[in-house]
Amino acid sequence: MNEGRGGLRASDADRERAVEVLKAAFVQDRLAKAEFEAHVGRALASRTYAELAAVTAGIAAPLSTVQPPATPSQMAEQRTIRKISQAELAEALGVSRQTVILIENGRYMPSLPLAFTIARFFGLTVDGMFG
Amino acid sequence: MMTFIPPRLRKPAVYVLAGLLFAAAWLVQGGHLWFVSIMAVIGTAAGAVRLYRLGGTDTDEGARAGSRTDERQQLVSLRSRALACNLAAATSFLGLTAAIAVKAAWGWPFLVTFLITGYGYLLGLGNYGVAEEGTPDDEDAGSQTRPSVSS
Repeated sequence: MNEGRGGLRASDADRERAVEVLKAAFVQDRLAKAEFEAHVGRALASRTYAELAAVTAGIAAPLSTVQPPATPSQMAEQRTIRKISQAELAEALGVSRQTVILIENGRYMPSLPLAFTIARFFGLTVDGMFG
Repeated sequence: MMTFIPPRLRKPAVYVLAGLLFAAAWLVQGGHLWFVSIMAVIGTAAGAVRLYRLGGTDTDEGARAGSRTDERQQLVSLRSRALACNLAAATSFLGLTAAIAVKAAWGWPFLVTFLITGYGYLLGLGNYGVAEEGTPDDEDAGSQTRPSVSS
């Protein structure tokens, strides 16, 4: 079940961020014009984060940098962005809904294994998620 | 054995077992208080049903009753048990001390409780506290070597 966030649907905002990464690479001459156009086409046609990651792979930093930056209530924000309910996230992480709520409220700091699981689920680093 | 019992039935099963043992004790005792065993059975049945229903709720208590706790809920249970053990040890020590002071014969249960809690703590340290030492690399091994004392 826990295939990470790669299988999740990407939003228009995610596709636009990927295009921005491609633009930056093109401006810096890291992409030829033909490559840039092909990559942009693929980015705009991407439906999942995995597909977006494949488009930007080898061009820039991993897709995590294309993601909205993590903020203090990162987990709640990331969950809201992906339109995942607390119950769904809890089930995916193998914890209770109450634990998800407490983590989002900053009233419980998860263990390292759980922190890694959460970060992997959202495609972010542990530092970016909880740092 | 517990793995063969569905998680939601585990706590009620333990509860029923304990309740039946308690009821059996009253029955074996005989005398005019035998009916307490029947009350114990009725109370146990009611408690087990309540525990089973609680196990189906989406709460921390429900998770504990349904034996499906996550790491946070396990941590809370662990801390609560540790607190209970600390209280038992402190209380037994106070009871034992009081019994010694008044030269009472009723001090031995306190002594037994105190010894059990103390031994349980040491047992816990033995089981969980002593990690297997890894092999230090050369640099660390060198820094940890105590210089020989020359006479």
